[in-house]
Amino acid sequence: MSLLTEGIKIWAFAARGGIMNRRNFFAMFEMFFWPLVAVFSVGLLTQFLRLDEATVSFVLTGALAMNTMQIVQLDISYALLYDVWSKSLKHGFIAPIRLGHIVLGSGLIGLLRGLVVFVIMGVLSVYYFDMELLRPGWVALVWFLIGLFLMAAIAGTLVIALVLIFGHRAEITAWAITYLLMILCGLYYPISLLPNGARWLAEFIPLTFFLEYFRSFYGFPASVAHPLEWGLLLGLGYLVVSYLLMVLSLRASLQRGTLVKLSE
Amino acid sequence: MELAIQAQGLDKAYRTGFWGRQVKPVLQGLNLEVPQGVIFGILGPNGVGKTTLISILATLLRPDAGEVVVLGLDVRRQASRLRERINLAGGATKFIWSLTVVENLRFYGHLYGLWGTPLAARIEELIELFELGPQRQIPFDRLSSGLKQRLALAKALINTPQLLFLDEPTGGLDPVMAQHTRDEIRRLNQVTGLTILLTTHNLREAEYLCDEVAFLQQGRVLARGSIPELQARLGMGDQLILTFENGPACLDYSRLPGLLSYQERPPVVELVVDQAELRLAPILAELQRNGNSLTKVQVREVDLEVLYRELTH
Repeated sequence: MSLLTEGIKIWAFAARGGIMNRRNFFAMFEMFFWPLVAVFSVGLLTQFLRLDEATVSFVLTGALAMNTMQIVQLDISYALLYDVWSKSLKHGFIAPIRLGHIVLGSGLIGLLRGLVVFVIMGVLSVYYFDMELLRPGWVALVWFLIGLFLMAAIAGTLVIALVLIFGHRAEITAWAITYLLMILCGLYYPISLLPNGARWLAEFIPLTFFLEYFRSFYGFPASVAHPLEWGLLLGLGYLVVSYLLMVLSLRASLQRGTLVKLSE
Repeated sequence: MELAIQAQGLDKAYRTGFWGRQVKPVLQGLNLEVPQGVIFGILGPNGVGKTTLISILATLLRPDAGEVVVLGLDVRRQASRLRERINLAGGATKFIWSLTVVENLRFYGHLYGLWGTPLAARIEELIELFELGPQRQIPFDRLSSGLKQRLALAKALINTPQLLFLDEPTGGLDPVMAQHTRDEIRRLNQVTGLTILLTTHNLREAEYLCDEVAFLQQGRVLARGSIPELQARLGMGDQLILTFENGPACLDYSRLPGLLSYQERPPVVELVVDQAELRLAPILAELQRNGNSLTKVQVREVDLEVLYRELTH
């Protein structure tokens, strides 16, 4: 197992993801249409409500986070779903690959697409709705993006695990998981507005703290003293757990025959 | 004799229903040995466990019990190393719809760690071998069934495997393409010495391709050997139905080459021979020498169902 061979296997999924995104109209739609809808619908709402600059930035941060995270997470999920939809899953898994190659390769393409979405939405938010995107500074912005990519990796990995266990029935989670997380994490509102049970859940999700960290630069206090550190700690822990879950789900899939059934 | 596959006491059951409470056994204590360098057929009706067996041997499914060693490696503990040396294709193989022939081969080549010039050379070699040149830039979903099958075989050879699994390799192909595929499989085995394990429903295909076959029943190997051996063991063969112009010939039929049995029903004689395609010409020559004229000759080959029925009774 040389480093070069590992890199080639990761590249296989990155290159395939790139080709699929280029050729797939739906992928382009995801990248441009929904982010534009989100930035304009939310931005115009903030104008209608005559919100101050800080609150506009608070709300638009949610829109940026959701669309950026979702595009990265979808690319990771698609790496497996393309094989499921084309019924070619067994041809990938008969090769000497690991799930890490899939996640890293597709994550690379997701990261590029996520950056494009973030930049487009960010520029539009600044230009049309006076969002102060750079007020927190470049360092905070980079940490915020790292947090979003980390969350996307966790969510994408969980979707892969669920599809490997439950097959086609779990495909819907690829589109639902980001929305579910966002509702709990305070998409356009502070988590203090959530009902008690939901707020308790939100405190276990790293994204809550990444959003609080970035919004703290606009004058909105975080619920914990060090939201970035707390978010990263939780996020890395969840990434390890979700990766292990994915490995176990592959094992279960090999035991139950799901992998072969998904190829028929 | 070195073994490519060695399976002992192989068990596999699928769990279905609510919480997997229903258990459907598929393989039950199956034993199988396949020598290296042969084409070996797994035969049997639908649902008998052919695909399950091939999936276990190809590391795509874990057995519940038993020992399985493929190319000297344990399928459970050394799956990753084994995967570098095997590959798989099927009759209805599917790949990602919008990737072209070259992109598909490149993707799967990358999965085996191939890169740059060696990969490009291997892809060109396979494109030439399977005559896919004019279609190299055509997306998978725009290829005909025959071309898809050729691509599947090309992909299955991308890593130069030592053992190739073919699950119903000619399923869904027209007769011309099916024969072309069979010729290609045989040529691969003869030229490269590649061990091939295939499943098929088609007895003629098994006879044409396989050095040896195993019939599965109730999750076990019911019988194994070459098709002519199995037919001879059961006293079964192809039927030659000869209709004479002036009644049956005055011949000692038992001296005819390859004859297993015969029955006279004037003006018809039914001969059962081991292999019709081999025996027809000499039998007709013998009849001509004796001055018999025939009005009709019919050949009925044994089909898989009949052979299977005979084996199970």
